[in-house]
Amino acid sequence: MKHIPILFIALIFISLLVFHGCAPKVVQLEQPGSPPSTSQMQADSEKARQAKLLEEELARKEERERALKEAMKTSLFHDILFDYDSYAIKTENIPKLNAIAQWLKQYNDVRIVVEGHCDERGTIEYNLVLGQKRAEAVKDYLEKSGIQERRIKTISYGKEMPVDPGHTEEAWAKNRRAHFRIE
Amino acid sequence: MVVCKTCLSTVIILFLLVAFFSTPSEGKIYLDVYGKSFKKITIGIPYFKSVSAEKSSREMNDVLNKDLDFSGFFIVAPHTLFDKELTDEGIDKKDIQFGKWRSLGVEILCKGTVHQQNGEIVFEGYVYDTLDGSLLLAKRYKTQQTEWRKIIHKFADDIIQILTGEKGIMSSRIIFVSGGRYTKEIYTADIDGHNVQRITRYRSITILPSISPNGKYLAYTSYKEGKPNLFIMNLENNTEIYAERGEGMKFGTSWRGSTLLYSHTVGRKSTIYALDVEKKNKTVIISKDGIFTSPSFSPDGSKMIFVSDMHGGPQIFITDLSTGAIKRLTYAGNYNTSPTFSPKGDLIAFVCSVEGTFEICTMNADGSNQRVLTSGTMNDSPQFSPCGRYILYTSQKGGKHTINLMLINGENKRSLTFTEGSEEQPKFIP
Repeated sequence: MKHIPILFIALIFISLLVFHGCAPKVVQLEQPGSPPSTSQMQADSEKARQAKLLEEELARKEERERALKEAMKTSLFHDILFDYDSYAIKTENIPKLNAIAQWLKQYNDVRIVVEGHCDERGTIEYNLVLGQKRAEAVKDYLEKSGIQERRIKTISYGKEMPVDPGHTEEAWAKNRRAHFRIE
Repeated sequence: MVVCKTCLSTVIILFLLVAFFSTPSEGKIYLDVYGKSFKKITIGIPYFKSVSAEKSSREMNDVLNKDLDFSGFFIVAPHTLFDKELTDEGIDKKDIQFGKWRSLGVEILCKGTVHQQNGEIVFEGYVYDTLDGSLLLAKRYKTQQTEWRKIIHKFADDIIQILTGEKGIMSSRIIFVSGGRYTKEIYTADIDGHNVQRITRYRSITILPSISPNGKYLAYTSYKEGKPNLFIMNLENNTEIYAERGEGMKFGTSWRGSTLLYSHTVGRKSTIYALDVEKKNKTVIISKDGIFTSPSFSPDGSKMIFVSDMHGGPQIFITDLSTGAIKRLTYAGNYNTSPTFSPKGDLIAFVCSVEGTFEICTMNADGSNQRVLTSGTMNDSPQFSPCGRYILYTSQKGGKHTINLMLINGENKRSLTFTEGSEEQPKFIP
C-alpha cells in the first residue's frame, strides 16, 4: 500500500507526457528531473487519497461479492417452488422469503433479479405471463417486507429455461420456480 | 434476410401465367369442404409428356402427387393402376379414354407436358372430369429451371381452386421459430420445406413472430437485450421501427391492418394495447389486475378475444370493442388458452387441457360447438390458414416440437419439417 503514492505520481507524469506528446507543441514540458510545484504536489496527494479510497472501496466490493456468492450458494437463495398453473406463494415458503428479506436488509445496497419460470405444460404464451406473475408475487412479498421496489427486478422466462429438461412430475415440480440472482 | 413479400411478387412475375383455354365448367363445386365430412376426390395424374426434360418431368409429377395428397381433398391414384395404354395416351380430349379412367375409379384426370424454352421450363397442365370428358382447367406456366417446384405448387393450388372454389395452400410461406434450448430464432420457409430463410440472428431466445396482413411488419419478442422486449421490424428494409423495453412481459399476438394487439404484464396489472405502427398511436383496451393476454381481433375489428385468469384458471373471453362489455366463452375444463379467430370470423381455434394433455380445439365465435381436434401430449399455437380451411399448430413429443397442419375438422394431419431444430409457433405469411 505504501508504494501507491509513488506509483501514482509516476503514473501522472507518464500520462502528462503522453498527453503533451499529442498536443500542439506550444506548451513547455517540465523537465522530468525538476521538482514539481506546490499546487502540483497538493493535487497529487489529493489524487493519491482518492486512489486509496477507491482501493478500499474495491476491497469492500470484493468482500461483498464473496459474501453474496456464498449466500447465493446457501439454501437461503434456493428456488421458491409453485403449484401447477399457480402464482400464489405457498405457506411453506413464507419463512424462506422472510429470511431473504432479512438478508436484503443487511446488504442494503444489493439489487436482485427474480426470475419466474414454468413447467413445460400448457401454452407458450400463457406460461410467459404466468412466469411473470410468479416473479411479481415474490417481488410483492419482499416489497411488503420492507425492501425497496427499485432493488428487485423481475424477468419471466415462461417455459423456455427449464432447470430440469425431463418430462416427469418431478422435473415439472422443479421447473415451476422463482429463481434469484444478484443483478 | 430476404423480404418474403418481394420474393413472392418476383415469383408471380416469373410465372407469366397464360390461360390459353377457357374453363368450361366454371361454378361447379366438386368438393364442399365446409361440410362436416366429405368424400375425397380420386384424381389420376399419369406421368407428364416431356421433351428434353424427362428428369424434371418425373420430379414435377411426384411433387404434384404429393401436393394434392397433402391438401387432404384427394385420393391420388397410384401410377401402378394405369396400364401402358393409359400411360401413353395423349393429352388432347380426343385421345383420352375417359371410360377406362372412370372404370379405375378416377374421377378427375390431370395431364401435363413439360419442355424447355430459352433456358426456362414450361409446364402445361390440363384437368378433365372423366364423367363427361369436360376440360376444367388448362394453363401454361413458365419459370426459371431452379424454380420448377413453384409452378407445380401454383398448378396444385389452381386445381384445388377449380374443384373446391378456393385456392390451395401449396404456394404458401410459413414463419416459425426454430432452435434448441436457450437459443431460438425466427425463420421463414415454403410450406413444402424448401427455401428456408433465417430472419433473426440474435443467439438468444426470440419467439412469438407475428406478421401484419400486408406482410410489411414483423412483431416478435426477444431476450437479446437480457429481458423479454417486444420489437417490430419493417421487413421491407429490415429496420427496427418500434421497441417496447419497459419492465415485465410483453408480446404481440394479432394484427389488423397496421395495428398490433399486444399484452404487457408487470406488477399486479396486465394491459392489452392496440398499437398502430403507422399512425404511431397506442391505445389501452384493457388494463386490470391479474392475467390478461393473448389478444386476437375478430376479422371485422369489432371484437377482441383474449385469455384471463379472472375466474381461476385461464379461460377465453370476448369483448365488444365499442362497448367494452366482456363475455366468457369457455367453461369446459380449467385451461383454455391461445385463441385465434378464423379469417371469416365464424370459428375460434384455441388450446384446451384434457385430462393432462393439451389439445387443439375449435368453437363457434359465440363459444358453442366446442370440438377437440387432436389427441396427443402437448399441442400449442393454433393458427388458421388465410383460406380458413386449415389449422397450423405445434406438437411436442419428448423435448422436440414439430409443426403440423390439419383440416379444420381435425382430419388430414401432416407434419412439416423445415430445419434440423425443434420447430414451433408457426403462422402463414399473408
